[in-house]
Amino acid sequence: MANLALPTTLAVPEEFSIGLGAPSGAFDQSLADALNSPAHRERWKYTKADAFLEQTAVNTSKPQISGLDQPGVGSHLAPIATPLPGMDLQQAPEAIARLCYAGEALTLEITQPTTQPVMIVHQSSTLPVIVRVAANASLTLIEVVEGDDSSQQTVWIDIAANAQVSHSRNAVNYAPANWHYLNVRLQSSASYRLNNHALGCGSRRQDIHVVMDGQGAEATLLSAGMVEGKTALDQQITIEHRQPRGRSKQTIHNIVANGGKCTFNGRIHIHEGASGTDAQLSNKNLGIGDDATINTKPELEIYTDDVSCSHGATVGALSREALFYLTSRGIDQKAAEGLLSQSFLRQCIGGPLAAQALQAMLGDMRAGA
Amino acid sequence: MNLLEVSNLHASVATDDGPQPILKGLNLTVKAGEVHAIMGPNGSGKSTLANVLSGRPGYAVDDGDASLEDTDLLELEPFERAQIGLFLAFQYPVEIPGVSNMEFLKASIDSLARARGEEQPNTASFMRQVRELAGSLDLDPAFLKRGVNEGFSGGEKKRNEIMQLLLLNPKLALLDETDSGLDIDALKIVADGVNRYRNQSNGVILITHYQRLLDYIVPDYVHVLSNGQIIESGDKGLALELEAKGYAWLT
Repeated sequence: MANLALPTTLAVPEEFSIGLGAPSGAFDQSLADALNSPAHRERWKYTKADAFLEQTAVNTSKPQISGLDQPGVGSHLAPIATPLPGMDLQQAPEAIARLCYAGEALTLEITQPTTQPVMIVHQSSTLPVIVRVAANASLTLIEVVEGDDSSQQTVWIDIAANAQVSHSRNAVNYAPANWHYLNVRLQSSASYRLNNHALGCGSRRQDIHVVMDGQGAEATLLSAGMVEGKTALDQQITIEHRQPRGRSKQTIHNIVANGGKCTFNGRIHIHEGASGTDAQLSNKNLGIGDDATINTKPELEIYTDDVSCSHGATVGALSREALFYLTSRGIDQKAAEGLLSQSFLRQCIGGPLAAQALQAMLGDMRAGA
Repeated sequence: MNLLEVSNLHASVATDDGPQPILKGLNLTVKAGEVHAIMGPNGSGKSTLANVLSGRPGYAVDDGDASLEDTDLLELEPFERAQIGLFLAFQYPVEIPGVSNMEFLKASIDSLARARGEEQPNTASFMRQVRELAGSLDLDPAFLKRGVNEGFSGGEKKRNEIMQLLLLNPKLALLDETDSGLDIDALKIVADGVNRYRNQSNGVILITHYQRLLDYIVPDYVHVLSNGQIIESGDKGLALELEAKGYAWLT
């Protein structure tokens, strides 16, 4: 297998490079090593990385942002300098590379509890976005990926102590390829909730890296996906518990229909000393029609005792008994499948983008709609 | 025109050892306004008859015909059979968590209305009707918000089947051992529901093991099914005779 490589060399501030643990003057080499580490190659096992890497250097534009005009919200463009604590060269070398190519990030500063949501719309490959949420602040963040062309987005969210973020994200556009990298770092007693809704596209890749970096932090990830026809969705979620008494819960339901290809990898990493951690992961996949491809792998790495951890992955089909019961009441086959699919996905659909997500995922399959 | 006409019906069920013939030349005619009870020993084919007529997957028709008001049933998908007026009350109603009873009933009534070119009922009057029906069958209307049959007791599931019968008002109702697992109070409620459904233009086939149900739903005909064929037919007196003497004298 040929080595993965970035399109061109990078020039980064010394401070940034050292902050990410790269030896002085060897940033490109450190990135190349990280890209080709066995652990990282494994994350790109079912989706070809080359085309995505090629795109990391393309020009980016600002995303459309609304909701900035309220107390407690500020925004500015900032050149990359000191890395955020959540930035991890080993975990996300290509996301770091994107940030370096752009040379700057659009930074949102949330300094107090906000009343209106902040909405980010990505029409194309956009500038990396950094959201810093100050202690005791709160934010409802809405994010939508749009556009017909291949695109990439990277978002870092840093949540200080006792702050809360509710994040809804729809990626229900159709494009040849889309890659979205999301990193969330939580400090003590911070909480984060994600409602993620995704449709397959030519090749859609979603990387989510959550770092529980303070005691008693809480993260809830709900994700619903529909991968139909010649589309693909590859989701890679890593949750790191670095501090004691964190709680994380992930529930991911994907429907893979008629030739779709869906890959899920959910890794829970509980560091030494993170005692009292409660981490749960459930990934359920429903195959409908012919030729669905489903790869799912939950992974646990636990380096401390006294944790509660559960993970499960299932692959199944719609219940024939349930389908017959519904159709025996006059509901046609397609609508019956729609009702059952809807109930399966609804368990993971919520937040302000729910209605739009449901419509995009099930459309005319919805009974009575 | 007969409501239901079944002639020389041969059907088999798929098993791990290949198709197993169950019905072996069954004939049955139901006219509008009639109630037919079908009794018979275990394994005689009673439930298979209900399953084949309603189109449950896993059964194959090997020969013969079945029609509802001259429409060939066997060519139709299960939902189409329901749309032309066939209803099966399940022996084991299915639990469907995540789909609420109300959502399910509305999807059903809307599908039937669409298929018949009728107007779909507005949600408010539909909900009122469903609540009234639920009350008349001693079902707590709160169940409408729960998943279909989710966490229902056996008796509640059967009463839910009868509620659907009254709501959908089909031409022909097949009740597959609707009395099994019911205590006497629930049996009376179920029987009362079926009697409310009966009229001069519809028909009922009651599949049952026990004569007891027939004290409450009085049939016009009683048939004995054995080894895939109807071997004896009579009036309600036949059921009493079976109760007293068993099936051995016939088979």
